[in-house]
Amino acid sequence: MDQSAATTRTSGAQVRLRKLSKTYGTTAAVDDISLDVPAGVFVSLLGPSGSGKTTTLNLIAGFLTPDSGDILIDDRSVAEVPPHRRNIGMVFQSYSLFPHMTVADNVGFPLRMRSKLTRDEARKRIAEMLALVQLSHLEKRYPRQLSGGQQQRVAMARALVSRPRLLLMDEPLGALDRKLREQMQAEIRHIHRSVGTTVVYVTHDQSEALTMSDVVVVMHRARIAQIGTPRQLYEAPASAFVADFLGDSNLLPGTIAAVDGSGYAVKIGNGVFVHAAQSQLKFSAGERAYIFIRPEDMTVQPARSAQGDGPQSLAGDVTELSYHGDVFWLSVAVGQGLLKVKVAREQGGAFETGRPVRVSWSPNAARLLPLADDDLRAGERARS
Amino acid sequence: MTATAQPETAAPRAPVLTLQRMMPALLLMPCLAWISFFFLLPLALMCWRSLTAEGFSLAAYSTLFTSALYAKVMLTTVKTASIATVLALSLAYPLAYALTLSGGKLRALILVFVLIPYWVDIIVRSFSWLILLGDNGIINKMLMTLGVVHTPLELLYNPFSVLVAMVQILLPLTTVILFGAMLRIDRTLIAAAKIHGAGGWQAFRTVFFPLSLPGVYGAALLVFVLSLGFYVTPALLGSPRETMIAQTIMVEANQLLDWEQASAAGFVLLVITTLIAAIYNRYFSLDRLWGGSDA
Repeated sequence: MDQSAATTRTSGAQVRLRKLSKTYGTTAAVDDISLDVPAGVFVSLLGPSGSGKTTTLNLIAGFLTPDSGDILIDDRSVAEVPPHRRNIGMVFQSYSLFPHMTVADNVGFPLRMRSKLTRDEARKRIAEMLALVQLSHLEKRYPRQLSGGQQQRVAMARALVSRPRLLLMDEPLGALDRKLREQMQAEIRHIHRSVGTTVVYVTHDQSEALTMSDVVVVMHRARIAQIGTPRQLYEAPASAFVADFLGDSNLLPGTIAAVDGSGYAVKIGNGVFVHAAQSQLKFSAGERAYIFIRPEDMTVQPARSAQGDGPQSLAGDVTELSYHGDVFWLSVAVGQGLLKVKVAREQGGAFETGRPVRVSWSPNAARLLPLADDDLRAGERARS
Repeated sequence: MTATAQPETAAPRAPVLTLQRMMPALLLMPCLAWISFFFLLPLALMCWRSLTAEGFSLAAYSTLFTSALYAKVMLTTVKTASIATVLALSLAYPLAYALTLSGGKLRALILVFVLIPYWVDIIVRSFSWLILLGDNGIINKMLMTLGVVHTPLELLYNPFSVLVAMVQILLPLTTVILFGAMLRIDRTLIAAAKIHGAGGWQAFRTVFFPLSLPGVYGAALLVFVLSLGFYVTPALLGSPRETMIAQTIMVEANQLLDWEQASAAGFVLLVITTLIAAIYNRYFSLDRLWGGSDA
C-alpha cells in the first residue's frame, strides 16, 4: 500500500479566492470572501447550513460563476475556465458514482476523459487507486452492489485517479453512520498524506473539521467568521459565534469595570464581578462584552447554600443532570442565567437536581469576547 | 400485505379478517367490477365468437394466418408502427432534453405547448392534416406561389401523410414519457462527469444518454403498441391499398359483417401486443417507467 502511495504522489495546488461574491436574488450566498489555501494543505470550510460553504466550493469547482471576484489556482485565474478544464477532483455528498459503469470504469472515467495514458497505463493506474482505497477485489461490481462506505472509497479513487492537484469534498461522510464516519475520517487523512494534493473539505460537523483539518475556515452568513488551526479556533475563538459553533460554551454578558495587567474585572450582575484573563482581543473599561468559559474548564462542588459569587466562581442550583456515558452534563442556574458544566463520570454521582453547588474555574479559563447578540443566536439556531 | 409480527412460540392462529387487512381488496373492487363487465366480459365474448362461426371451428384463425391479405396488412401495420415509433422518439428526445435542462417558467411554457395538441381530439388533428396536405392545402399553395413546384405534390393518401399525422399525434405522449424518465436522472452525475474532465457533449454521451435509455425503451414500447392500433388517422389520410390492421377489422365488422373474422383478428392483435409487452418487460423491466429501481 505504501508502494502504491508513493507512485500516486503529486504536489498540491495553491488556491486563492479574491473578494469572491455570489448573490441569489437579493440574498448573498457568498459575500466578499478572500482566502489563501497553501499548497498541499487540508482546509475545511465549516459552518451551519446556509453559511455559504457549499456555494464557495461550487464556485471553486466552476459549477457556479461568481458575480464578482476571482479564483486563482496556482496563480492562474480560472473564473472563465469551465469545470472540465480545471483539473480538479471532487467527491460529492451523495458520491454520484455512475450507476451504469463498474467500479473500475467509474475510477477510470477521468483518465478516459482527460489523460493521454495508453490503455495499459490507465489499467495500471486504476489498479493503483483501487489498491490505495482497498477495493481491488470489487472492481467488476456496480455501485448499487456496494455499501455506503465502499461507494465512498470508489468516489475517492475516481476523484484522485488523474492526480489532480486540488481535491474538493462536499460533506462526503454525511450519509455514513458514526463508527464508519470516524474510520473514513482517518482513511481520508491517510490518503491525503499519501497523495499530497490540496484538499478543500466542506462540512457542518465541527468535530469532523477539528480532527481532519490543517486549517479550518469558519463561515457564517456568507462570510468568513474566522480562519485558524483547529486548536487556535477552539482555544482562542474570535467571536461568540465561533466559540459557540465549535464545541460548547458558556457566554455571560457583562460590563468591563476595570482593566489591569492581569486582566479585566467584569460586572455581570448586581455586585457580582468576575475576572477575565487578557487575550489577543483588547477591550477597554466601560465596554460591554461576553465572558467566555468552556464547560470542561469548570469544576463543580456541592455547596451548603447558593451563595458566594466571586471573581472565579459562581453559585447556583443544579437544574438538570444528564448522563452521557463518559461524562455528566450539569445545568446550573446562577443569578445571570444557566451554566453548562461537564463533569467526569466518577464525580457525577455526587450531584442531584435542586441542590446548591458552586462552579469555579482557573484564572486563565475565562476570557472576553465581543458582544454581538445576533451572532450568538445564529450559533444556537445552527445547532438546534 | 399487512404483516403482523408473531412470536415464534405462539400457536398458529387463523388470520383475522380485519378491515385493515381487507382494505386493499375493497379499494380494488370498483375498478375490478368495471373492468370485468366492460372489458373482460366483452373480450371473452369476442374470443367465443371468433371460434364459433358454424359450430366450433378455427376457420377464422386459419384464414387469418393463411390469407395473403392479412399478411400484407400485418406487414404494413408493423412497418408503419415501427417507423412512427422511431420518428416520434427521435423528435421527442431533444424536446424532452430541452425540457429537462430548462427551469421554471420556460419549462412550464414548453410543456403547455407540448400538451395543447394532446388535448385536441385525435379526429380533429387528423382532419387538420387534410387541410394542410391537400392539393389545395396550405403547403401546396405556398410551394406553388413560391414557384418551387408547378403541379401540386401528392402529399395525401399515402404512407407519408399517415406517418406525418401519426408522429404528430404520438409526439406529446412520447415527450412526456421521456421527460419523466430524464427528470429522474440525478443531475449531480452530470456535474461529476464534468469536474472529472468531460465536456458538455462527452458528459451527455457517456452519462446522460446511457442513463436515459431505459426511458427510451419504455417509451418505444408504449408508442409502438399504441401505433399498432391506429384507426382514424390511416383511415382518413392513408391509401386504401395500404391499410392497417384496425381498418381491416373495421371493414370486416361493419361492411362485410363477418364478426367471426373481425373477432379473430382483434384477438390476435391483442395477443401480439401482450406478447411484445411481456418480452419487453423481461429485458427492459417496465417498472423503470413508473419510477421503479433500475436494479
